[in-house]
Amino acid sequence: MTIFRFVLKRFLRRPANIILVTLVPMAVVFIPVSGWFPLPMGFQYFGMALMFIAARMAAIVMEDRIKGTLLRVGLAPVRHSQYLWQNLGAYALILVGLSGIIVTMGTAVHGSMLAAPGLLFLVFSCFSITSLGFSLAWYSLFRNREGAVATITGVIPLMMMLGGMIWPVQAMPALFRRLAMLLPTYWLAEGLLSTAHGAGLMGLATPLVVMLLYSAAFVLLGSMRRLT
Amino acid sequence: MVIARMADIVKRYGTHLVLDNVSIEMGKGEIVGLLGPNGAGKTTLLFALTGLIGVDSGEIELFGRPLGDNTLETKRRIGFVTQEVSVFQDLTARENLEFFGGIYGLRGPGLKQRVQHALEIVGLAKYANRLPAKFSGGMSRRLNIACALVHAPEFLIMDEPTVGVDPQSRRHILETVRELNRQGTTVLYTTHYMEEVQAIASRVIILDQGHVIAEGTISDLVEQIRHEERIRLEVVDVTEPLLQNLRKLEGVKGVVVEDRIVRITTQVGFGNLDRVLAAASEAGGVLSINAERPTLEDVFLTLTGKQLRDGGEE
Repeated sequence: MTIFRFVLKRFLRRPANIILVTLVPMAVVFIPVSGWFPLPMGFQYFGMALMFIAARMAAIVMEDRIKGTLLRVGLAPVRHSQYLWQNLGAYALILVGLSGIIVTMGTAVHGSMLAAPGLLFLVFSCFSITSLGFSLAWYSLFRNREGAVATITGVIPLMMMLGGMIWPVQAMPALFRRLAMLLPTYWLAEGLLSTAHGAGLMGLATPLVVMLLYSAAFVLLGSMRRLT
Repeated sequence: MVIARMADIVKRYGTHLVLDNVSIEMGKGEIVGLLGPNGAGKTTLLFALTGLIGVDSGEIELFGRPLGDNTLETKRRIGFVTQEVSVFQDLTARENLEFFGGIYGLRGPGLKQRVQHALEIVGLAKYANRLPAKFSGGMSRRLNIACALVHAPEFLIMDEPTVGVDPQSRRHILETVRELNRQGTTVLYTTHYMEEVQAIASRVIILDQGHVIAEGTISDLVEQIRHEERIRLEVVDVTEPLLQNLRKLEGVKGVVVEDRIVRITTQVGFGNLDRVLAAASEAGGVLSINAERPTLEDVFLTLTGKQLRDGGEE
């Protein structure tokens, strides 16, 4: 578990990362219910925050590839899959832990407005892993860190908007509604809305399974690029 | 005992043939210098040897076993100093070594001891708790080497480990290589610096355009060109007519220019020292002229037609 341990150490050593995983998501907890979304608005933004944090985490993997440290790991008696899983495992631990803290704090702040906090936690946890996979896959398409980071910063809000996290998908034209289903953010919105409307675990099965399938596909795509 | 063997290795990138039937062998305890100009295929050869890239054909054996048999166990016995400094900038020198020692399976007091030993070998013990970002180029290079040494490999591969370092760090690195070799480590060392190979290597392999063009001890290789001599001419101004006249002289095999110095490789027995002087005097402004004893650099020049460093000019 050397890689896992050092991934946590490296991520938490950077002050900007500490701010990102504490202050920013925690601030969203205090945003009240407003508009069409049946949950406190902060929970919409928390989805976006998760994607940005995941993007920052996966950027470290990309940095290792570009700077050649991944090459050195490739020469060591460690399989690429081990390296990748320990990285993703450490980052997933942070994001899932953060989801737990946010849902707990949300329950304390909003009380009964948050129906089924356990299910909310489950939805955010699944989306955390999807976000990590998405970022990894995104970065694998680029050789240049700046380009990858700049584009993903623009793509995340776009995915949020088109996926129904900022406004309802029903407000969009029919073609966009169909295309929205291709985005993982659509399934996050589905999961959150279903939870807010009282769906049980079975009612969440579709969004959760789709998000996990997306995660598997993204991680597979992201792991194809190894050293170059 | 043979540590590494490559037989008839062919490697292509698309249509570009990078390694063309390369065969090399390394015995335990050797320091082998791998020389070649840019693009000769040195790094590709090292990557192929370690299994980092596949080859199109040929056989590779490490520690007497085909590459691919128990790869993880084989990797454990190899250290690789990468050409670029590839350490984590956000971990201290000690943490970098703990990380790389950890992924090679070292744990607990054994790991701590090896980390301290590696830091001492490369002379960074005093700076163990500093981030590499605060290091000079030479210190970063030494940390890069320490990361490859921390697990005490039997076979150390060094891909141009001294590029861009100050003379003091270079001396330290070369001394480190000698010391490791004295302790039993087999070393494959690639470099652009001929004097480094002359200082440490027990055997030299010269690679050019994907071919092994010469192999042997330095004295063996120099012996191969005993029928040649080298004239070093320093002039005020190197002009094209002068170079043309020099190239036309009977017995001249190569003319290389380096600032105001012209190096002429010529066959022995043509009396070319006088003729070169005459041609240069005619062109005006001879500062000095002398015949040099053949060196490894001359061997390289003769065999490849290129100077090793900075590409050279034929």
